[in-house]
Formats: sequence, C-alpha cells, structure tokens
Amino acid sequence: MRIPFEWLKEFVVIEMEPHELAARLTMRGFEVESVEEVESAFDGVVVGTIAEIEKHPKADKLSLCKVDIGREILSIVCGAKNISPGDRVPVATVGARLSENFLIEKRPVRGIDSFGMLCSEKELGLSNDHSGIFILPEDFVIGSMLAHAPGIRDVVFDISVPPNRGDCLSVYGVAREVASILKQKAKLPIFRLDDGQENIKDYLSLEIHHIGACPRYVLRMIKDISIVSSPFWMRNRIMKCGMRPINSVVDVTNYVMLELGQPLHSFDYERLRGKRIEVRLTEGNDRFRTLDGQDRDLDKGDILICDGEGPVAIAGIMGGENSEISVHTKAVALESAFFNPLFIRKTARRLGIRSEASLRFEKGIDVDNVDFAAERAIFLMNAISGGTVIKGKQEIHERAEKKTISVSFARINEVIGTPIEQQEVVEALRSIDIFVIAALEGNISLSIPLFRHDIVEYMDVIEEVTRIYGFDHIPPTMPVVTVQPQKKGLKDIFTRKTKDYLISAGFSELINFSFSSLKDNENFLIPPSDERTSCVTIMNPLSKDYGIMRTMVAPGILKNVAYNINRGSKNMRFFEMGKVFISNGHGLPEEYPTLCFIMTGKEREYFWREKATDYDFFDIKGVLEGLMGQFGLDFTLMRSEEPFLNRSRAGDILVGGVKAGWIGELKDEVLEAYEIEQKCYCTELRFDIIMAKGNLKVQFQQIPRYPQAVRDFSFYADDAVPVSTLIEEIKMVSPLIQHVGVFDMFKKETRSIALRVIFQSFEDTLKDETVNGLQEIIITKLANIKGVTLRT
Amino acid sequence: MNIEELHNRVESGIASVKTIEDLKGFKLVLLGRKGLFAEYLDGLKSLNKEERKDFGREINSLKSETEGRLKGLEDHFAEEERKREQERSWIDITMPGKIPLTGRKHPITQTFDEIIRIFSSLGFSVAEGPEVETEHYNFEALNIPKDHPARDMQDTFYIEPGIVLRTHTSPMQIRVMESQLPPVRVIVPGAVYRCDHDVSHTPMFHQVEGLLVDKGVRFSDLKGILTVFIHEMFGPDTPVRFRPSYFPFTEPSAEIDIGCVICAGDGCRLCKETGWLEILGSGMVHPQVLRGVGYDPEEVSGFAFGMGVERIAMLRFGIDDIRQFYYHDTRFLSQF
Ligand SMILES: [Zn+2]
Repeated sequence: MRIPFEWLKEFVVIEMEPHELAARLTMRGFEVESVEEVESAFDGVVVGTIAEIEKHPKADKLSLCKVDIGREILSIVCGAKNISPGDRVPVATVGARLSENFLIEKRPVRGIDSFGMLCSEKELGLSNDHSGIFILPEDFVIGSMLAHAPGIRDVVFDISVPPNRGDCLSVYGVAREVASILKQKAKLPIFRLDDGQENIKDYLSLEIHHIGACPRYVLRMIKDISIVSSPFWMRNRIMKCGMRPINSVVDVTNYVMLELGQPLHSFDYERLRGKRIEVRLTEGNDRFRTLDGQDRDLDKGDILICDGEGPVAIAGIMGGENSEISVHTKAVALESAFFNPLFIRKTARRLGIRSEASLRFEKGIDVDNVDFAAERAIFLMNAISGGTVIKGKQEIHERAEKKTISVSFARINEVIGTPIEQQEVVEALRSIDIFVIAALEGNISLSIPLFRHDIVEYMDVIEEVTRIYGFDHIPPTMPVVTVQPQKKGLKDIFTRKTKDYLISAGFSELINFSFSSLKDNENFLIPPSDERTSCVTIMNPLSKDYGIMRTMVAPGILKNVAYNINRGSKNMRFFEMGKVFISNGHGLPEEYPTLCFIMTGKEREYFWREKATDYDFFDIKGVLEGLMGQFGLDFTLMRSEEPFLNRSRAGDILVGGVKAGWIGELKDEVLEAYEIEQKCYCTELRFDIIMAKGNLKVQFQQIPRYPQAVRDFSFYADDAVPVSTLIEEIKMVSPLIQHVGVFDMFKKETRSIALRVIFQSFEDTLKDETVNGLQEIIITKLANIKGVTLRT
Repeated sequence: MNIEELHNRVESGIASVKTIEDLKGFKLVLLGRKGLFAEYLDGLKSLNKEERKDFGREINSLKSETEGRLKGLEDHFAEEERKREQERSWIDITMPGKIPLTGRKHPITQTFDEIIRIFSSLGFSVAEGPEVETEHYNFEALNIPKDHPARDMQDTFYIEPGIVLRTHTSPMQIRVMESQLPPVRVIVPGAVYRCDHDVSHTPMFHQVEGLLVDKGVRFSDLKGILTVFIHEMFGPDTPVRFRPSYFPFTEPSAEIDIGCVICAGDGCRLCKETGWLEILGSGMVHPQVLRGVGYDPEEVSGFAFGMGVERIAMLRFGIDDIRQFYYHDTRFLSQF
C-alpha cells in the first residue's frame, strides 16, 4: 500500500521525520519497504508567471512566451494553447533533468532560442495529464522551487500491509496505527453535505435477498453533475498511491477508497432500469459483461447487484458495462456496502480478478464506516462535479455485535515472558480502539472494534499487546524445557557417511531441481511398461522441461555434465542424493531417496610425471565397492536389462538378492541426446534399500598373531567363465583362505588371469605342507572347470 | 733399521692419495700382509732384544697412527661420495605437485550442516517429510483455509486437486505433532517448491523448519533461542532485530532481521537501504494449530521458525544470484 506522507498528516499530527516514522511502523509490523522522495523528480523546476505571449514568427502553432521566474525573465517557446498572461506555470530551467534521458538545454526552436520549457503534469511525473501546461494555484510563490510547494514536495511510504490487516489498506487505516504509535487519535475528515430537496426514496428502492452475503448496503445519489477532470490535488494523491485518474466521478470513488478503505461503486442512474437495486445470489449459470468489455461466467453463489431487469454489477468485484459511468452521465447512484469476504474471495478467485475493491472486500472492511464513506464521496462529487445532492439514503443494515474477548493479565505475561504492568496493557489496547468493558481479579473483558476482523481469540489480543509493547523491549530468555535425548537420525547418519566418503573419493555434490520432463524418459529409452513412466505430473508447471517430478536422478546430472563440457571442463566426478517420485495413480506418490554418481573424462587432464588414462567401468565399480564397504554390504552384479546402459559394460546391483540399482557405461545414443561426446560411467542406487540392508555397527576383528602365507596362481579362462567364479571356487576350498585378489589380467586369444591367495590361520603358523596341499586342491579344482586351464 | 725412511714413505704416500682408489692401493702397500709395516716388523727378527723392543714400539705406534690417519681419509672420501650421490639425485622442486582429487559438498549442504549442528547442540532432533504433500498438511492444518488471503502469498504447484508440492517445510510441524505427545523439539530440513523463476527465485529451494513445544514456552524464549542461533551462525556481534509479522500458523509472529553484512547498517542495495536483512520467520504456534493436532493450548505452548537456506548461504558466501546454486559450474562448486 502506497501512503503519501502529506496525506497521512491530514489525520494525525506528525512532527517526526518520515524515515523515523517509517522505522517505527516497521517495528509495529507494517514494514515500510521504501520511502520514496517525490520531489527529487524535478530539481531545477521553478514557479514562474507568464508575462507576455506572442506568436512565433515562423510557426503558427507555437508561441513565444516571456516568463518571469523572479530573478529573471526567460524567453521560452511553447506549443500549448491553455496559457494566458498572469498564469502561474512550472518552468523547467536550463540544466533541469525531467527524466533519465530528458535534460533541458538552451536550444533553438524554429530559429528562436528557447531558455527552458513550460511543463505539463505528465512531464513532471505528477499525473498522466498531457492536455496542456500545468496551471499552478495562485498561492505558489514565483521564483520558488516547485518541489517546495505545498502538496508537491512529499514522500511516499510503500508499506507491506500484513495480509490479515485489511483495515490498514487506506490512508486513514494506516493513520490509526500511526496515531497509536504517537499516542494520539486519528481524526476523520470533517465536511458538511448540502442536501437537496428531493428524496432518494423517489428515485430508487433497495432490496437484499440474502442478508448473510451483504449485511449492509447504502445507496446515495447526486444529479445534474458534469463529468470533468478532477482537480490537481486529487489526481496527484491518486497517482502517488499508484492508481490512474480517470474522471471526476470515478476519481472520487477511488479517492475515498484510498482515504477510508471503503470500495465504492457508482452507477449511471439513467441507465438503471426500473429505479431499483436488488442484491441477490446467482442461482443458475449466467453470463454478464463487465465494464472492461469481458463476458464473465457467473456461478452459483456469486453476489449480484441487479436493477429492475437484471445484473448491473458483480458485487465487490467489478461493475457492468450496462451501467458504467460515461462522459454523458448526469446522475450517479453510489453504492457503499459490506459484502461477506468469503463470497467475494470465492468469486474473485474463480474469475481471476484482483481489483482494488475485491482486495479490500476479501479481507473485510469496516462495516461501521459504510455510510460515512458514501456521504464523503457524494460531498466530494458535489464539490467537483457540481449538481444537486438527493436527500437521504437507501440503506439495509443488519447490525453485528462487537466481539468480546476475555483474557487475564497473568496469561498475557506468561505467553510473552514479560512483567508488563496492567495499566500499560490497558493503555496499549486502548490506543488501537480495544476497550476494557469489565475487569475482575486480573481478568479483563475487551470489546473489539468491528474493523478488526483478525482478532477472534485472546491470543490475537496478546499479539497486539506484544506488538505495541515492542518486540525489542522483550528480554531474550532460554526456555525451561524437558530434558530428553535427541532422536538419532539414522537417515542423517547414512547420508552424512555417504557424502563424506564420496567427497573424499573426489566427487562433488550436486543439487538439481526435482523436476524433469517426459523428454528425459524418452532420452533414457524408458519403455512404457517401466515403473519409471509412472510420473507425478505437475498440473501447472513453469515449463515443459519442468513438467513432471523426476523418476531418475541421472538425467539431471547429465545436463550438468553437458553444461560443464560446453564451458571447457571435461573431467568430472559428480554425485547427487535426492528423491525420485513414483506415482501411485492418485494420492501421495512414493518418494524414494536415491543416490547417483557419475565419472567422465579422466582423473585430471595431465600430470607431467605420468600419462592420464580415461575412466572406465572399474573406476566407478571401485567407488561402489568402497561405498558398500562403508556399510558392511556385499553386492553382486547381474547382467542388466536397463535400456540406457551399454549391456556389455554394465550390471544391475543386487544387495541381499534385491535390486538396489544399476551401474555401468551409458549408451552413446543416450549421451548424444544430451550432446555429450565422451564416455560416462554412472550408477544409481535406491538409498532406502542401502539403509535397510546396511550396517553402521563396527565390530572389531582380532588381528592374527601368526604370519600369513601367499601363493600366486595363473590360469587361462574363457570369457564365459567370470573371474568371480574362480574366486568363489577358491574361497570354498578352505576357511584358511582369507583373501583372493586379482593381480593381473591380459588377453591375447584367451584371458590370462593371475590370482593371489592369502592363507591365514588364527591358531598357529601355517606349515608349508598344509599350504602346498591346499595349493594342489585349488589347481585341481580350477582346472576341472570347463574353459579353465592352468598356465605354467 | 731406518725408521726415518718408513716415516717418510708414509708421509709421501698419504700426500699422494687423491682418490678412494689411491687410498685402497696405498693401504695395501702400507698395511697389507706383504706391506711395508709387515716388512719392517719382519725385519725386527734380525735385531737384538733391546733394539727389537725399542724399534718394535716405534713401528707399532707409527702403524696405529697411520691407521688412524687412513681411517680419517676413508671417512672423508665416503662423505665426498655421499655428497656426490645426493647431487646426482637432484630434482626441480619447483615442478608442480600432485594434488589429491577431493570433491566438495554443495554450499547448500554445507549451510544445512551448519544450521543442523547449531540446533543439535540446543537439543533439537532432525526429521524429514514428504515433498509431495496434501493440501491439508500444507495449508488447512496450518490455519490456511481455502480462499485464505495468505494462500495468495504462495504460488503453489498442483499435482491433482488436494495434492501439492509443499510450499514450505511447515507441514512437518503438523506431522511431527500428530505422531507424538509434547515435549517436541525438532528441526526439519528439506526442499520446497513455488512457481517462481527469476534472479531472486528458483522454483525449488530449501528451508529449515524448527518447532519447540513444551509446558510454559514463552515468546521471550523464541527470542532467546533464535538470538543464540544467529550469533552462532553469523558471529557473536551480529545485530539482531525482531519485528512483528504475519503468518497464519503462528501468533504472535516475528520476522527476524540481521544487520546488513555488506554495509553494516548504513544502507546499500542488498538491504534495500534499510541496513537490515530478513533472515527468519517465526512465531508462537497458533492455538488453532495446537488444537488441530490434539494439543491443549492452555497446557502447552511453543514456537516455530523457518528459514531459507539459499538466502543464508548467499549471505555466508557472498553469492549474489540464487541461480548459481543450480548451474553446477565446476568453477562454482570448487570454491566451497
Ligand atoms: Zn546493506
């Protein structure tokens, strides 16, 4: 809400500097987001008076003015027609800067030098009026800076009004809060309405069909007016509040809304059929053209304002084209009402209209102020547009009781943690129009003004006391709490351990958006039967790329890889831990914590001492082995059917017989979809499975006291015989075999594999005969496997 | 017997030793089995007892003196050799070393870790909740009914009617309270979503929610705990300001500002000339919310708070564009 400081001062006496008041308002919960100086826009603009006007000798449409600005007479060429000698006008002198790109210079206009410019309101940024030169009021002092003139020099507060404080969406509303700060009372504007002779009962009747939707409705009228342009002061204030002046009738309704917070609507009386107004709820489906020329679909429960024949406005939202004020309007029927916020909210939301009026009705306005605002508007219309005020009003009003709330002083201090004196509490509440109506033994009953829709229970009252007492006066304390052990977060421990391990292994962490697109599924060649096509789809996505919740983490990482390759870095190790989402058809989806890591390129581009080799499958497998080791997990790799993997260099990861993920080289065609031209080794793991099967417990193993024995074996093995089979077979030979390692592998025609076996006893030193015996068994056993021969 | 001559030969021999090889040769000539000293000692046999005794003593003392001098020379040559050996193994120590490859934690995770560490030290446990959430938990249970003006503050991603991407971590307040009796002391880190994407907003970002409910918890306690947090997080001299605000699920509600980290209060672009930066939202849990989970607001009270992790990370590291967190440029990641 934009609040001009000079306007605020009409309701409350302010001696404080604007910036200080802004700070005080902020500490009251009304954050002043900016304090905007209006005057800075026209440095170098002074008040002048027209001394002479002559025709420009070379241009019929231009005139040559002598303008007295006190210290000198300037010669200025001007194109406007609305000036005559003696008028006071704003003069932008040479050197003035009216906007970023508009510097006033001495320049010839059709051969005659012009020493400045006479300005319109628009050129000064005061309004959008560009019809002629801004004729200043008589009391402006010639030669003075325009910025210092009354009503011109100003600051505007941009206040972020809390959403529950609809009562402060007006200058008067904010003034009430300022008055509380300054220990004053805000004063309503004083005026006297000159009633005419004719009675409104002869002009209009009023009926409300559903009092719950509209508990108060007031109609007032004025006739024989002429629609003109509003005076500068009114247009200026409307502009400063961020709205646009339109004409003397519409401006008044907007002005009073900004002043008092009451939205008003004016009908062109002559266009109302049947001399009557009815407030009713829509029953069936209907269609209605609002004054912006749009056809609106009405629905059951919208509040409609109707004349004798049909709707003329959607209550609280927007008027109809059929009764709109025009330049020909002679008589105005003015509506001031309280509409039930729930109804307005529903309609506004459905129609997608957020007008200044609906905004205020939605939050609830001051029902006590409805008629005062109508009177105020009729008074202003009369003052500006002339005409005759029709006497009296048509009104239906179902009076509401003021809310009463009880609370004890003890409870207030208990909640806040303060020793606030009783008298201080009472005064604080009184300053915002909450009064004690009864007091007994430390308990008080309070009456709440009707404009405070936000106060419904005693905690709301305590909030007000806290706010007015001042948050900064409350001493910080430490809570007296029940001592209890912290719950151990298993997921947190698993996650931390995993991240620490991967970081020490040279992987950097990524956090991608959980959004993905169907395109990613396509890129990954996921078939329609796959679970990963059960996507959680976003109804209102920001873009197609963010249309679904991801079902895999890898596609996001590939985008990061591509991004970095395009920026010149080719070697990457990345990991991400995040959720993937699998839809259950409807309701909440499954959310699986997932770990993905990727290696591409090589460890480093070069190191002078040695040649860097590209990563391959065994680099990423090693990282996986190390990770599983962190949690005491064994895993096996099975041939993978994942459509995006190069099947001869990939596998599914089985942990305790359950598929926990996949690992391997991504297919070239998948990489091409992300414009990546280098091999990527990647693995994705369901972290919930790792957590379920993994072990955080560390169990110490005795360190053997006896020396170990080592024997090396070399075999030829066909490709059909995996090394894991050889290792398993060897391990089964004896419990004394502690470790079997592969220390060499090369391939000519068949693979040659060298294994190192470590024998270890915990009871005694192994004898040579024992080890030799086992060695024989191993050789025989392996040589019996089809496709395996001993290499000698 | 000419001892003088022996003496001279020893002297001239030692003087001519230039290398370790010379030394070895000379040693043999002098001390070998057929060497000079052996020859002289042998020659003693032909002398009488008296002479034998005198000459013998003289030869032996010369011999041990010579042995000592030759040992000294030997050590000298060995030392020289070691020096030469070292010279030969020279490397250019200005060649670059091999930096071990380590990864980096994402700055957001680092910030999460720091926030969690501080609250853990204050006895808060960590809980997590679903990111796809029901409107009930995301809004209604938090005192934000349908059509409530506060729903306008948040642009929500919808999955289906009634199901949304959570717009804050606050739904976990409800889930935690529903699952246990007071006392509650928990923080909830996690991702949240809003339809917004520009220099200062990303459609996904991160929050940490906190909740403390117990008997007799006061608004002043909220100030106490959160002041401790801010001083731990941003340094003990950081100015802190609590000012009234509005959240549907807390009352009274407070916005917490810290003194601007750039201008120290003088006003700059970052703090929009106010000298203050908004860092945390907080408030006493609304009685309506407590009643909703079956807690009695006359019996227990508590406070809740929430903070944007990106914002805190931006201030900690001096990052000026929130989108930087999500480009994952290696030149960005490697800085943390
Ligand atoms: Zn600053």
